[in-house]
Amino acid sequence: MQGLLLISIGLPAVAGILLLVLAFSEHLRAVGGTGVKHMRLYLFVSVMLVASVLLATTAAWTGDNSVVLFRLIESIPVYFRVDEVGRFFITIVSVIWLAVGLYSVPYMKHEGGEKRYYGFFLLSYGVLTGFVYAGNLITMYLFYELITLVSMPLVLHNGTREAVTAARKYLFYSLCGAYGGLFGIFFLYRYCGSLDFMMGGTLDAAAVRGHEGILLMVVFVMLMGFGVKAGMLPFHAWLPAAHSVAPSPASAMLSAVIVKAGVIAIVRVVFYVIGTDFLRGTWVQYLWMTLALLTVFMGSMLAYRERGFKKRLAYSTVSQVSYILYGLSLLTSEAMAGALFHVAAHGLIKCGLFLTAGVFLYRFGYTRVEELEGLGKEMPKVMWCYTLFALGLVGIPPTCGFISKWYLAQGSLHSEIPVFSWLGPVVLLVSALLTAGYLLPITIKGFFPGEEKSRENRKVHSGEEVCQGKEIASSMLIPLLVLAVLVLVLGIFPITLFK
Amino acid sequence: MDFVCNFPFISIILSLFSGPLCSILPGKWAKRVNGIVIIVVGILSAFVLAYVTGTGEAFIYRMGHFPAPWGNEIRIGVLEAFMGLFFCVIMLLCMVAGVREREAQIEESKQNLYYVMVNLLLCSLLALIYTNDLFTAYVFVEINTISACGLIMIRQNGRTIEAATRYMIMSLLGSGLLLLGICFLYDLTGHLLMSNIKEQVHILAQTGQYHIPLMVSVGLISVGLAMKSALYPFHAWLPDAYGYSTLSSAAILSSLVSKGYIFLLIKVFYRVVGFEILTGSKVANVLFVFGIVGMIMGSINAIQEEQITRMIAYSSVAQIGYIYMGIGLATQEGMVASIYHVISHGATKSLLFVAASGLAAASAGRTSRELVGSGYRNKLAGIAFTVGSLSMVGMPMFSGFISKLFFAQAAVGHAHKMLPTFIALAISTVLNAAYFMKMVICIYSPRYGGDTTGENTIVGRVVFMKEQPVKSVALICFIVLNVVLGLNSEPIIRLIQKGLAMFG
Repeated sequence: MQGLLLISIGLPAVAGILLLVLAFSEHLRAVGGTGVKHMRLYLFVSVMLVASVLLATTAAWTGDNSVVLFRLIESIPVYFRVDEVGRFFITIVSVIWLAVGLYSVPYMKHEGGEKRYYGFFLLSYGVLTGFVYAGNLITMYLFYELITLVSMPLVLHNGTREAVTAARKYLFYSLCGAYGGLFGIFFLYRYCGSLDFMMGGTLDAAAVRGHEGILLMVVFVMLMGFGVKAGMLPFHAWLPAAHSVAPSPASAMLSAVIVKAGVIAIVRVVFYVIGTDFLRGTWVQYLWMTLALLTVFMGSMLAYRERGFKKRLAYSTVSQVSYILYGLSLLTSEAMAGALFHVAAHGLIKCGLFLTAGVFLYRFGYTRVEELEGLGKEMPKVMWCYTLFALGLVGIPPTCGFISKWYLAQGSLHSEIPVFSWLGPVVLLVSALLTAGYLLPITIKGFFPGEEKSRENRKVHSGEEVCQGKEIASSMLIPLLVLAVLVLVLGIFPITLFK
Repeated sequence: MDFVCNFPFISIILSLFSGPLCSILPGKWAKRVNGIVIIVVGILSAFVLAYVTGTGEAFIYRMGHFPAPWGNEIRIGVLEAFMGLFFCVIMLLCMVAGVREREAQIEESKQNLYYVMVNLLLCSLLALIYTNDLFTAYVFVEINTISACGLIMIRQNGRTIEAATRYMIMSLLGSGLLLLGICFLYDLTGHLLMSNIKEQVHILAQTGQYHIPLMVSVGLISVGLAMKSALYPFHAWLPDAYGYSTLSSAAILSSLVSKGYIFLLIKVFYRVVGFEILTGSKVANVLFVFGIVGMIMGSINAIQEEQITRMIAYSSVAQIGYIYMGIGLATQEGMVASIYHVISHGATKSLLFVAASGLAAASAGRTSRELVGSGYRNKLAGIAFTVGSLSMVGMPMFSGFISKLFFAQAAVGHAHKMLPTFIALAISTVLNAAYFMKMVICIYSPRYGGDTTGENTIVGRVVFMKEQPVKSVALICFIVLNVVLGLNSEPIIRLIQKGLAMFG
């Protein structure tokens, strides 16, 4: 079964690279793809994606595999292992990738550069698989860097000045953050028994004695470093820029999954290498909680003020991912369960939200919040989906957002940390209100625009040929519906995921 | 004594005498002879490497079989042999990759001179690597300088003549200091052979006699060689020299010439001064500080640079800083890291120069504005440049990451130097990323920053791989070399450790 693990990483990566090579060789000829060529491309991408998803999930659910690929240097192998976190995360990634893949077909046809897009799309699936299956810190770091590199072209996709600036910003912040992580890895190499992941940590107590101060500092640097990717304050500035400028399906992937790479990296460092006992009650934990809560609040505030629709969603990601970080920072199992559940909940919801944003952009070229007024009449299904996602993000039952927030609040109240045990839920609640404040008005105005707006004649931006009178092409609608159903199902039957 | 033991001597003599031979041969033949000599020397070095690895200890070869205090010696261990091989490989690839540029940029009548210079350079590099005699080392340092000067100047335009003059002045200053240092040492110890000096230095250190002159001479040698290898404040000659000379010169200068001096310095530390005395002295600290300053300042200068070759040249200043930082740690691990970085940087920097020239060939000029989209016009060069950049930034899987890993590991647990090293590594990584990734994004942007007005501001032509088969092969070799160094560094590290053990 060891081969399966490697193939599941290698297949999408190789397929992606193949597409990129093809895209590369076609770049100069500047030929518009004919219908047949497009069909072939879609067939290839879908077969590859489905095959890799199948492989990855089978590898995940057939038990604990591990495989050493090769040794980078003698003491540092590149090593993969499947465990609970990996299994959990790859499932979410697969669902989102399938949804986004289907959605991209009409969307990217309009946007152009499909081969390049699908190349990086597949490549990033492979890299993410490698990332979640990584068995030690160095392997994880390797794939962490690769995630940045393969997701950057998605930001860069349309090549405008804005996109180039955003991509540079993204790259720069991420590399700096990753270096913070690497800096810590250098230290941990000395203080840990091994860099392999083991629940509860591998810290070598004898080596640490007398160096607690410096080690705490190191852990803090690592948290900040990996926190960059998760958009934690004060290094969140890249996120709204990068996520709003990418093509919508790419934004959905970035916001729903790629930012979670930072979260997973922090989970690995704190729970699997350092161990929670070492951090409990230290200044690092308090500072971490403070920063996470600040980000939750600030993110929501910024989203509330923002008028660009995708940018608003991006700020909302800043805020929501810090819910997860706050849950992790409590260092209790209950809060961690809530946090991981929120990884899934936020992933599905935010993916759905960006895809709806993409629908509006695709059909009418709308990017601002005000422009969305009165759309409920023309696109009732999409608007209903949007409403459901919005409710989910606010955390209203029976959506899955409620479950995760419930556990987060419970975990916080039971954590017995002075001040934070009650401050946390209060901030979460305030932020939930703000979330409602910036998401729900779109629904309200969408369905009840007032007199003058509803009669306005809309200019259709694109996609007339695939929609054919319907409100939107079914390949764009189905992913939205599936995600919406999943949000509901997970809200009503959360037990399946908690296992 | 086995026949193989003659090989180092043969390769020095071979490259030395093929120089004059090249000057009288017709142009085409000079080129061939030059190539053949490099290949032959490489093969000989490979044999020596195999031999030394087999016996497991360094051997001494006496020139003319005169015994020690009078005769001249060369001494070869695993590391020396490996360096010889590595230098030959890089030099061959650089020469091969730059053929077309050389033929276009150098006057017909001077083509032969170029090969003379390259042969002399190879000879002096080999001698610097192998020699066990300080004065011989000095002589070949001078030969090295002169031939390097020729390599810079042979492409005749104003900038290169100025650059060569600057190089000459800085280099001769360095040589002067080196010579002074050697004179002092000779005065103190009465020997010129490295092993003999070391014995005497050891006695001096034990008795505490002549402590200050000893330190002064060590300092002079270090500063002299540092100057020649472009450690930060002495780098002024470098950007012009690398930026405007012809391709193979730039690549050879950056990846080999400065490395030869560094190798000599390390050898002096091990074989002449003795590692314990170096650790006890403050010389290492000075090198450490300048190394760190160089790492940061070199990158800052590179960020401000618009022109791609000059940017790469400034990045060399930063990378030389890394190497001196490793030496400055004054630990065994630090030295291993530095030597690994010598190799890794040698492989990467020449790759970058060759790739940059490929990109420039597909564009109107060399500034970042003109290079927009060149990654699409010359695909192989684009990929190669990306690989080199990622390696320089320190992405895992490429050689740069491994050397950073080793620098960091060498620094962990060092009482005073751990934190400065880490911070310097952090800042420099970030700065490296800033300019290299900017360039990578630039060569892969379809148009300059979404400039909607000038639809066709990009001037350039498409360069296909078939057009320049030789260069493509060289680039592919470079890429493979980089990836191999990054993925499979363990044997080389072990070789360096073994070589250092044989050094003393």
